[in-house]
Amino acid sequence: MTSNPQSIMASSRPLSTWDRINPARYIGELSETRFWMYLLLLPSALLIMGVVIYPTLYGFQLSFREMRLNRPDLGTDWVLLKHYQRMLSDQIFWISLRNTAVWVTAAVIIEFSVGLIAALALNRNLPGTKVLAVFILLPFFLPNVVAGHMWALMLDPRLGVINDLLVKVGLLGGYKAWFADPSTAMAAAIIVEAWHSFPFFTLLLLAGLKGVPSDLYKAADIDGAGSISQLRLITLPMLKTVIAAAVILRVIGLVNSPDLLLILTSGGPGRSTQVLSLYAFQTAYKDFNFGYAGALSVIMFIFLMMFAWVYVRLSKVNQD
Amino acid sequence: MATLSIKGVRKSFGSVEVLHNIDLELEDGGFLVLLGPSGCGKSTLLSIIAGLEPSSGGDVVIGDRTVNDVHPKDRNIAMVFQSYALYPTMSVRRNIGFGLEMRRVDTSSREDAIARAADLLQISHLLDRKPGQLSGGQRQRVAMGRAIVRNPDLFLFDEPLSNLDAKLRVEMRTEIKRLHDRLGTSVVYVTHDQVEAMTLGTKVAVMKGGVIQQLADPQTIYEKPANMFVAGFIGSPTMNFLTGTLEQHNGGLALHHGSAVLALTDIEPGAEAFVGKQVVAGIRPETFSKGEGPSSLTGTVDVVEPTGPDTMVVLDVGGQMISARLGSRERPHPGEPMTLNVDTSALNLFDPDTGNRI
Amino acid sequence: MAFARSRSKLVWDIGSYVVLILLAFICIAPIIWTFLTSIKLEEDIVTRNMIYIPTRITFEHYVNLWNQSGYPVLVINSMITTSVTVLICMLTGTIAAYSFSRFHFRGRTQLMLAYLIVRMFPAVLMIVPLFIVMRQVGLLDSSVGLAVAYTSFLLPLFVWMLKGFFDAAPKELESAARIDGTTRLGAMFRIVIPIARNGLLATAVFVGIAAWNEYLFALMLTTSQGSRTWPVGLQLMVGEFQLPWGMLAAGGIISILPVIVLFALVQRAMVAGITAGAVKG
Repeated sequence: MTSNPQSIMASSRPLSTWDRINPARYIGELSETRFWMYLLLLPSALLIMGVVIYPTLYGFQLSFREMRLNRPDLGTDWVLLKHYQRMLSDQIFWISLRNTAVWVTAAVIIEFSVGLIAALALNRNLPGTKVLAVFILLPFFLPNVVAGHMWALMLDPRLGVINDLLVKVGLLGGYKAWFADPSTAMAAAIIVEAWHSFPFFTLLLLAGLKGVPSDLYKAADIDGAGSISQLRLITLPMLKTVIAAAVILRVIGLVNSPDLLLILTSGGPGRSTQVLSLYAFQTAYKDFNFGYAGALSVIMFIFLMMFAWVYVRLSKVNQD
Repeated sequence: MATLSIKGVRKSFGSVEVLHNIDLELEDGGFLVLLGPSGCGKSTLLSIIAGLEPSSGGDVVIGDRTVNDVHPKDRNIAMVFQSYALYPTMSVRRNIGFGLEMRRVDTSSREDAIARAADLLQISHLLDRKPGQLSGGQRQRVAMGRAIVRNPDLFLFDEPLSNLDAKLRVEMRTEIKRLHDRLGTSVVYVTHDQVEAMTLGTKVAVMKGGVIQQLADPQTIYEKPANMFVAGFIGSPTMNFLTGTLEQHNGGLALHHGSAVLALTDIEPGAEAFVGKQVVAGIRPETFSKGEGPSSLTGTVDVVEPTGPDTMVVLDVGGQMISARLGSRERPHPGEPMTLNVDTSALNLFDPDTGNRI
Repeated sequence: MAFARSRSKLVWDIGSYVVLILLAFICIAPIIWTFLTSIKLEEDIVTRNMIYIPTRITFEHYVNLWNQSGYPVLVINSMITTSVTVLICMLTGTIAAYSFSRFHFRGRTQLMLAYLIVRMFPAVLMIVPLFIVMRQVGLLDSSVGLAVAYTSFLLPLFVWMLKGFFDAAPKELESAARIDGTTRLGAMFRIVIPIARNGLLATAVFVGIAAWNEYLFALMLTTSQGSRTWPVGLQLMVGEFQLPWGMLAAGGIISILPVIVLFALVQRAMVAGITAGAVKG
């Protein structure tokens, strides 16, 4: 009862000269205004405007213009829909479109299936599986260039270890040039892509699984539902949003980035692994035909938007 | 230490107004409890007092200073949060002293102040720990230490006890009351717990839908609730509402409910106007006693709930359920008929149309 | 009944171990094989009879790569580009993530969606105009220019991921700090950012790895040894002088070493952040 509340009060030191000119003080004052949240966003928004929005819009208008860096004599005039018309009769475009569909569909199906199995197994939280999880997630963080060459080394027609193993097991009569054969090049590339990116699904699905209340499984156990019906009736419906998000993000990645195919096959042999993004990139990088490359990208973007819209619609309809 | 007055404060989020024209006065050294169900606007009002959210209109005056445009840091207030909001990266010592550190109090007087506050709250032995290493009750004490060390004009408490278990909650409630008695600083305390409101407050503001329903001392709130909402919100079990007709009776007034007649005493002057009309009588469970009397109700025992000190009886009176608090030795059986007498001096009458007290 | 259930659980447990061990093996086998190749003698790599475990070990591939090719320069260029990318993201992205996490303001949802949708824009659609613009402002073939280009897809990612970490810190902390005497600025730098420092580190590492690995932008926007990054350099070496497998393997191992080390160090927080951002988004 001896404590005197007044004695707790301690005196404050006055402001020094440095405090008066300290810029942090003025920014601090600014932070108390109503505009603070917008000010915080300003630098990143400006940057994104500069490096994303502006180039994209520029790219859109390029698709209506002539621009070939190696042919300055053609000028940079507006050509309206010339590039889009050319696309209609461009055999390579149609082949690329078909290959893109195969590439994306097959890769997503394999990556999702393997990713889901890995996520379900990891979600059992068995002892020792934490270390395995690190190994399983690792490929996703490795560079395309190295991933590509590691597999090229293993699939090499003369000294590839996979050829050697398959021959030894008896599955293969002799060494095979996987990437040089039009009938196997796409499949081999899809395997490499699936190896590289299935952990993405594992990652997201595992997070989704953690969000499923364990009471649901206990209730299902008591009701006598087996593991398979639990997966079908509880797990997958609960994961619907995560699955939708993961599939959309992965499809965007697969459609937009030609990296891995560029490294593995450059679209060959023939046009057997030519996809749209790769074709657009080569049109820009090798032919320097920026107008046509822009038009190809715009078509890709429109396909992606349509896919995302339809997919979100479908998964919403299923939810009701 | 200071007074607090709130004049016509409003708050809207978009087109939704969540606080309508709030007026409040708190005397120097008083303990104001803002009580109400979740979503009633009590926490928003506290945030406006703290300056964490701007109001959409009206004035907040602390002492003799209108603080509408004053930053929270310059209002000289201290706040204890529901989640305690201790800085997890700092030691308890630095947590408590952070407010002084920000105010450039020199190290030695800061250390003194921390030591005194820690001593007062019996947490001196915890000063070098991190908040993550403390129990819920200890965190609560540190949060209070952080508030009192600054010796502010005003303490704000935002449901500070709701994260504690039942036993600790009672203990800390007593602790808060003791601190307030000792320090004498004005307090605004937000809670949805009526027991906290009744035990701690010198003044209670019952809120609902962004409006203060009643602002009075706890005794008045309990005994003379301003309307049926306040009457029903305060008290456990809740007040019984019995609808009946008000009639002249032996020179006074009486409430007729079916065959029962409750003769009224201590009638408010306004009641005369309701003679012959329907009114709602609010009867606290503890105003019943067993047996015949001048104002009695007869019904069938429905449920019997012994609580230890009392026995709660739910009585079916002509289809209306009435709960009564009887002595612990009363053990009626369900299905038995029972007659209860009402102490009508503690009875409240409400207008059924407006819900307001008559 | 109970017996049957525990037996089925055992079967699933064993099944899980088999699947996980198999998958883990498939995931690291290419890395191990590449490493083994990188320490084999040349004649043990190109041989009729496959040598699985090398009996003779050599580091000459690493030495050759380091001394004969421009690899050290490539690695230094990549380091500069990666650092600048991370720096730009930290400077502009941290405060943006904080704003999205802490404030509710008009247009917030739409803006956050915009930060997400920009990832849908095809890389090629941006690369071509970026090439033209960078050439105009003289940033073509420079580490800084490449880093700025990287922010086009890494900054939105950074903001989304970091926002998830900021969301985990209770909002009452800022209120407490502001009442304790800081401004909002002070509350951000003294309280919230220190709490989210692990998340900030993980996010920065994630973005750093992505910048380190990037190939397409680098291929298009760098043209000389002065700013070329290692993925482009490695790929060009393959084309130029039919790079021997040993040296290529050595280059791959050197390049992924920092990735593996960083991933192992911060993988837990990084995984949490990627999933938090993605699940909510």
